[in-house]
Amino acid sequence: MKVTRRDLLVWSAGAAAGLVVTPVPWKLLDDVSIWSQNWPWIPQPARGPVDVKQSACALCPRGCGIKVRMAGGWPVGVAGVINHPVTRGALCPLAFGAHQLNWHPKRLRTVHRQASSSSWVEAQAAFAKACAEGPVVVIDGYPGRAESLVLETFAQNRNGQYHVVLSPEIRSLIPYETWSGIPATALGYDIENAQTIVSFGAPLLDGWGSPGQFSRLWAERAAGMTDPKLRLIQVEAELSRTATRAWRWVAIHQGAEAALAAGLARVLLEDRLVRARLPMPALTLTDAAVRSGITPDAIRDLARTIVANPPVVAIADDDNPAIAALNIVLGSIGTPGGIVKKTKAAKSYLAADSASSPARAVLIDASVPWEFTPQTDAEVFRFAAWDGGSSKADWLLPAPGFLEALADVPTAPAFPVETYTIASSLVKAPHEVHSAAQFVRTIDPSLPAMEKIIHTRCEDVFRRRLGTLHAQEQAPVATLPSALKLEEELRKGAVWVGEPLRVGFRCEMKEWPTISDSATSANWTESWSAPVLPPLASKLCRESNLREAPQGRNA
Amino acid sequence: MRARYGMVIDLDRCTGCGACMLACAAENNVPAIPQATARTGLTPMLVRKASNGMDGGARREVFIPIMCMHCEHETPCVHVCPQQAVEVDKATGIVMQMPQRCLGCRYCMTACPYHARYFNWWDPSWPAGMEKSLNPGVATRMRGVVEKCNLCHARLHSAKEKAAAAGKREIDPADYIPACVEACPTGAIRLGNLADPADPVTQEAHSPDAFRLLARIGTEPKVYYKSKEAWVRGLAESVSGRGANNNSEVKHV
Repeated sequence: MKVTRRDLLVWSAGAAAGLVVTPVPWKLLDDVSIWSQNWPWIPQPARGPVDVKQSACALCPRGCGIKVRMAGGWPVGVAGVINHPVTRGALCPLAFGAHQLNWHPKRLRTVHRQASSSSWVEAQAAFAKACAEGPVVVIDGYPGRAESLVLETFAQNRNGQYHVVLSPEIRSLIPYETWSGIPATALGYDIENAQTIVSFGAPLLDGWGSPGQFSRLWAERAAGMTDPKLRLIQVEAELSRTATRAWRWVAIHQGAEAALAAGLARVLLEDRLVRARLPMPALTLTDAAVRSGITPDAIRDLARTIVANPPVVAIADDDNPAIAALNIVLGSIGTPGGIVKKTKAAKSYLAADSASSPARAVLIDASVPWEFTPQTDAEVFRFAAWDGGSSKADWLLPAPGFLEALADVPTAPAFPVETYTIASSLVKAPHEVHSAAQFVRTIDPSLPAMEKIIHTRCEDVFRRRLGTLHAQEQAPVATLPSALKLEEELRKGAVWVGEPLRVGFRCEMKEWPTISDSATSANWTESWSAPVLPPLASKLCRESNLREAPQGRNA
Repeated sequence: MRARYGMVIDLDRCTGCGACMLACAAENNVPAIPQATARTGLTPMLVRKASNGMDGGARREVFIPIMCMHCEHETPCVHVCPQQAVEVDKATGIVMQMPQRCLGCRYCMTACPYHARYFNWWDPSWPAGMEKSLNPGVATRMRGVVEKCNLCHARLHSAKEKAAAAGKREIDPADYIPACVEACPTGAIRLGNLADPADPVTQEAHSPDAFRLLARIGTEPKVYYKSKEAWVRGLAESVSGRGANNNSEVKHV
């Protein structure tokens, strides 16, 4: 058969038409596409028995109750604990991605000496040598833990010093410590019983205190109500999240919180809206109005509004004596709904920014916020689970990550009642990690072990026979059969809540504190002590307009 | 009984913390792709900020969580899908997306009036080892398909399994709580069965303060919002999920 040019053209046209009509190429394209979308190396969730464990988040001093879903021995999800006496099921947003933190690309896997890799043996030798040559300063970011006790004892044994980086909530209580002699860590804000809260820039709805405590309280007593049972008045220059949802937002000039507090105190005292007889602020009402940017009449109105719905408590965003003085004027010291004393056992700490004493070495615990840099020429040994970069530490030592080590969780900052729980170790670290407490015990084996301290603390709680254990059911401690049972329940995520002390105390303020401009305090993204955020926080920081990532923290 | 699952989101309670966004992403194994941006990231639950357009002390802001509205009537994404990859589940009212059928044409994204659908631009990936933290109840989705909120269908499935194991036909409502509802620290997001008139969520959905976004187009969304503020309710006709730029702020005019 002779193939003509015409035949070729016909076949070509037929093939082209057939190609369009036949499903084969499209099917092939589809199959190739599906095949290429399901590469065998695309990660799939791990399989294994699913279990739910209750614990506490030890990533910051707020110690929220968490429910951890475990699959195949690994945490695969975090949620709040509904019957937790403090957080009542609420968590900060970062906690929902905390289970991914242990695999963060910035996880510190080996000991680093300055820029190069080193080993634990070399680090221990260097630290032992430094300890032998001079005093050691230990810096902690989460005081009150069993680990803190080990570190403090170590510093004392070595004639060194123990310093603490206090949270903004505790710092806001320091003026009361100055005037009453009661340590700031022994005090708390009784917001549960307050009817009016005047917040001077404190991010009450954005991570202040224990994030869930105020959120739940506000949701129950104030949210969306025109005449709420709890009146939240936010005094702040910017329309923050708390200001957005407050009953009243008082927009003032930046840093004029102290001036407005003085103006309010003057009105309260002059107009006899309070019973107190206290020194009058030097600042006149007109000056307070000029500095704060609101009119004298508005200050008068605000003063009347504040006292109309007692008990009232003013909360500062940081160490601001003028706001503490306003609380004294309001009669909010040592009374329900005000500043209360929660324990007799607390003590004062040296602030870490005062760590100027000569030292041969500085040991920084992993709980210290990454931004903290000691002003010292000493050799710095810094523990961290993640490397945030530019740490200015001579030694970077890998610390346990999320739920990788046993920890005890004392009372959240500024919470009005003592609490205690234990965060058990639920996962094994994928590489060698040590906590600062374990590290110093290699130098000084006489230091008590964490397990022993936690056991002793449980025995103390049991011996006092006070308070309630919040497990699945609530039970008074007095009804528990033994300290071991108490410890067992705490290790399973139960929380011990002490009794309110109900003891009044006095603050002796001889003269009105000097008025100075104050800075705005940090919210939870800054107070997060880890140098990294969970990768999923990118949803918040990069893929929405909700908030900026804190400087230097990769999301 | 056939259910119509829906939500009421009380905007007066939303503090814009973003816990719902993170909890949703963690529950649904959404990868945190480093190169993803506001335009290309997967945010099945996206909280937007809106203001009354004023400045200074008169300024007011509101946070609006936006996800698939699970439209009941003439569901736009269902109508346009050439692959029948989207359907309204008759038993639950949930608008379901089937990634295995989706060919990635993105017609549904164009049709969605709420911009609540997202295209999966990349193969799912996590830093080494992080795959151990994935939720075993939800599969990772492939590149090239459209994703959206499915009201945590895996949790509904688990609740049904639990009910079946106990010999019951109906699930216990306490067993079916989507991740965003569980995470909300102020209880602003609530799920309920809108087919049940006695359900508190149904009653809230019919309160005078309740409204739906773009209600005028008649798609009968099953996500209701609630606010006592008139200017917030006025946003109902102007807010949509993702516009040209997620970082732009919605202003009430």
